[in-house]
Formats: sequence, C-alpha cells, structure tokens
Amino acid sequence: MKKYNTPLIDDLEKGPWPSFVTEMKKAAKNNEMANDALGHLEKCYSTKVGYWKHGGIVGVLGYGGGVIGRYSELGEEFPGVAHFHTVRLNQPSGFFYTSKALKEICDIWDKYGSGLTNMHGSTGDVVLLGCRTESLEAVFAEYSSRGWDLGSSGSALRTPSCCVGPARCEWANYDTLGLNYALTQEFQDEMHRPSFSYKFKFKLSGCACDCVASLARSDMSIIGTWKGNIVIDQAEVKNYAKNGMDINAEIVNMCPTQCISYDGKEMKIDNAECNRCMHCIAKMTKALKPSGEKGATICIGSKAPIVVGSLLSWVIVPFIKLEPPYTELKDLIRKIWDWWDENAKPRERIGEVIEMKGMRSFLEYIGVPPMPQQIKEPRKDPFMFYTEDDIASFKTKEAEEKKTGKYKF
Amino acid sequence: METAELQDKIFAFVQAAQGKKKLKEKDIINGMNAETGIDKDVVKKAMRGMIDVGRLMYSYGGGASSVEIPSEEYLREKGLIK
Repeated sequence: MKKYNTPLIDDLEKGPWPSFVTEMKKAAKNNEMANDALGHLEKCYSTKVGYWKHGGIVGVLGYGGGVIGRYSELGEEFPGVAHFHTVRLNQPSGFFYTSKALKEICDIWDKYGSGLTNMHGSTGDVVLLGCRTESLEAVFAEYSSRGWDLGSSGSALRTPSCCVGPARCEWANYDTLGLNYALTQEFQDEMHRPSFSYKFKFKLSGCACDCVASLARSDMSIIGTWKGNIVIDQAEVKNYAKNGMDINAEIVNMCPTQCISYDGKEMKIDNAECNRCMHCIAKMTKALKPSGEKGATICIGSKAPIVVGSLLSWVIVPFIKLEPPYTELKDLIRKIWDWWDENAKPRERIGEVIEMKGMRSFLEYIGVPPMPQQIKEPRKDPFMFYTEDDIASFKTKEAEEKKTGKYKF
Repeated sequence: METAELQDKIFAFVQAAQGKKKLKEKDIINGMNAETGIDKDVVKKAMRGMIDVGRLMYSYGGGASSVEIPSEEYLREKGLIK
C-alpha cells in the first residue's frame, strides 16, 4: 500500500479534540480506498482545490435515492477514490443500536467500501463514505438481507429522524420513536421514489428543548407540547435557591414571556402567558413539570440557505394529539405536499413557497383556520387585503344592518 | 390503453425531452395525462414499472432528482445487457 506524506492534515491531529484524520489513518492501514482518501485530502489541502465531482446516475435499481455519486478528477493518481460514492442507510428511530448491529454495519462496509462512516449525517442517516459503482448492488443486497434499508436523497422525503423521546426522556410529550417509525413506513414511496420539487424533511422532538433542532433543520418540525399548567414543587424551589441558584437571574429574567415571578420564598407562574419553551423546566428539573393533555405543535418551513436565505419553521398547528395510527397528521401531510407540488418551481423548499405565495393561501388549501399562534411577527405594512368573498360578505352584512337599522357608518 | 403501449408513449415522451429538459416524475405524469387523458395514478404505475426494470432511471444533480433514459453503461453495470 502506498504511503502518503501528509504534513498538512497531520496538523489536524494536534490539540485536545478527537480528530477525523486519526480515524482515517486507522482505516487506511487496512483499506486501499481509505488510504487513497487520505492522500487525496492532503493534495486538496496543499493545492487548495477540491477535486470532487458530485451527482449523476449512480444508484440501486428501482431506488431514486440513498446513493450519492462522487468521483475524483484525480482518479489516476488516487485510484481508490476514482469512485467514492456515499451510501445512506436509514437509521433506527432515536439512533438506538445494539453493538451487534453497529458491528454488522461496519463489517459489511469494510467488505465493500472504504470502511469510513459518518454517524450520522445531518438528515439523520448512517452515512457510509466511499464505494465503487460496481459494488453498489452487492452492498444494497447485503444490507437489505440483514433488515437494513437505504436512506433518502434528492427531491424526496428525506429519512425522518427524531429525538430519543420517551425511551430515555421524561419530557417527551408524545412517542417520537413511534411516530418516526410510522411516518417512515407510511411514506416509503415518497422516500425512495423522488417525486417532489426538492427535498422535504421531518424532524420530531418530544419537547421544546428540541434536541434534534427540528425548528431550524426540517421542513416540518413536530415539537411536543402540553396544554395544562406547570406544576411547581415549592420545597424543591427552595432547595434550588439554597444550593446557590439565582432564580431571578437564571429563571425569571430569562423567561421569554415574563410569566414567572419569584419573591425569594415562592415561585408563581401565569400559565396563560406561558409559551411552553421548556427553559424553566429544563433548569429546575426537580421543581417544575408539565401537566395535562400532551401532544405537539406543528411548524413548517425551516431550511438552510439555497434559493433564499435560511428560514426557521413557523407555527401552523398550535396543538395536535399524536396517537396511532396518526391519521389526522398523515392527512395533513398529504394536503401540504399537494399544495407544495402545485406551487413550487424546481428546487424550491416549502418554506420558500410559503414566503412567496403567502401563509394565507397555504392555510386555505390545507384547511387549517387562521389562529393567533400562527402570527410570526407584527405586520410591517399598513395595507389590508380582502378577497372577493370577504367583500361580498361585508356587503351582505351591511345590507342586513341597514335593514334592521343597526348600520352605522 | 394497454400498459405496454402506455409505456412506449412514456418512453417517447422522455426521449423527446432528452438533452432539453430534466424531467421530474411529476412532469412525466402531468405531460402524459394531458397528452392521453389517462389517469395520473395509472401513468405513475406504468412509469414505476419501467424504472423497476431499468427502461427508465432516476438521475440526480445539485440536490434535485429527475427521470431519464439509462445509458448503456448503466444497463451493463446493472447486468441488464451484456
């Protein structure tokens, strides 16, 4: 095996942090592709040029996603990376694995690919880095024979992902793992057969702590919430104060709706003003807990910048009960996709289309009534726009009032 | 219309766009529906059948997917031709 001199990337092994270069070097001892990837990376650093070509017609027969084609322009110099395709594997809900399952993934990948992995990609898939075109069908056959499936890529529903939910977290307001699995099974076709204008991502968080950052990273963010009051254990509040917590500075003054008060003895919460952000509960885990009916808030539209700048998701359904078989949610998702499909140009995410067409037309189509919780920010312009139907209804009302003598101009 | 005849029409539709426009699944379904009046779900099923046997294939570039006629190289790699 060729030994590469890598002074530039060796620098990335210095310091207290784990280094991907160290891990690549370990893989390079036994794998020609990983070894060439190391030499290729050093070349990229020294010439300040990336030699990768991306995309094309690589994949598994019948699937439209799950494999991302990558080729190097330096295939002759580094034959191990001439083809270096990425394979995405659908991760289990909440990223729970047995060590046996992880070993199985790695053993198959050592056999066919570079042995290099990324656990996990930002969509959530297990990302297997570096495979030749002629090995793809064999890789897929071997993984699928052990119960694994490809993840998604391209203009499709991307592999749904969720937080650890009720498996490990007392704050989960719904079964994120169960819903994630249900959505993955229900929308297999949308995942593996790209038919959208561009990508669409679900991310599921059990509470507003939002451990999977769904609000910033998914077209549809499903975030757990509750309807009842925050239950306060005043004895535990006292313990927090006794143990040095500055409750006014760390809790009261950091409450975004200023609905908490603390007089040094007792904590009070005006629950009607609380927006369920989880800050106080996450800081005072022993003293505060949610109560009452549990479910989720659905937000729509976040994305990283491509066509327009980055967006955060926007509330469309303030509260929805989420219980199997999740029929209401699945119906809503289909309506959302219908509207997007009708209105989007290629490579437009749903958030961008809503920005252009307006939340009003979106809500009308999906049949969700306007609600105060959907207000994103105070209006910036003084103009009011009415539809033909609005004007007709005002005229009818006016005529009625004129008849009954209640009309005042 | 028989499925095979519909699939021939789909193939001709994709062939006509080759080199001019990257067709999404939706473009093909809507285009065939407008051209033949055949139900969109029937067109979709016929097209998927073609993809499953390698008569058409998914392609990918810049994050967006399209449906194309496979190259000989692709068919050879999948063992569909020698």
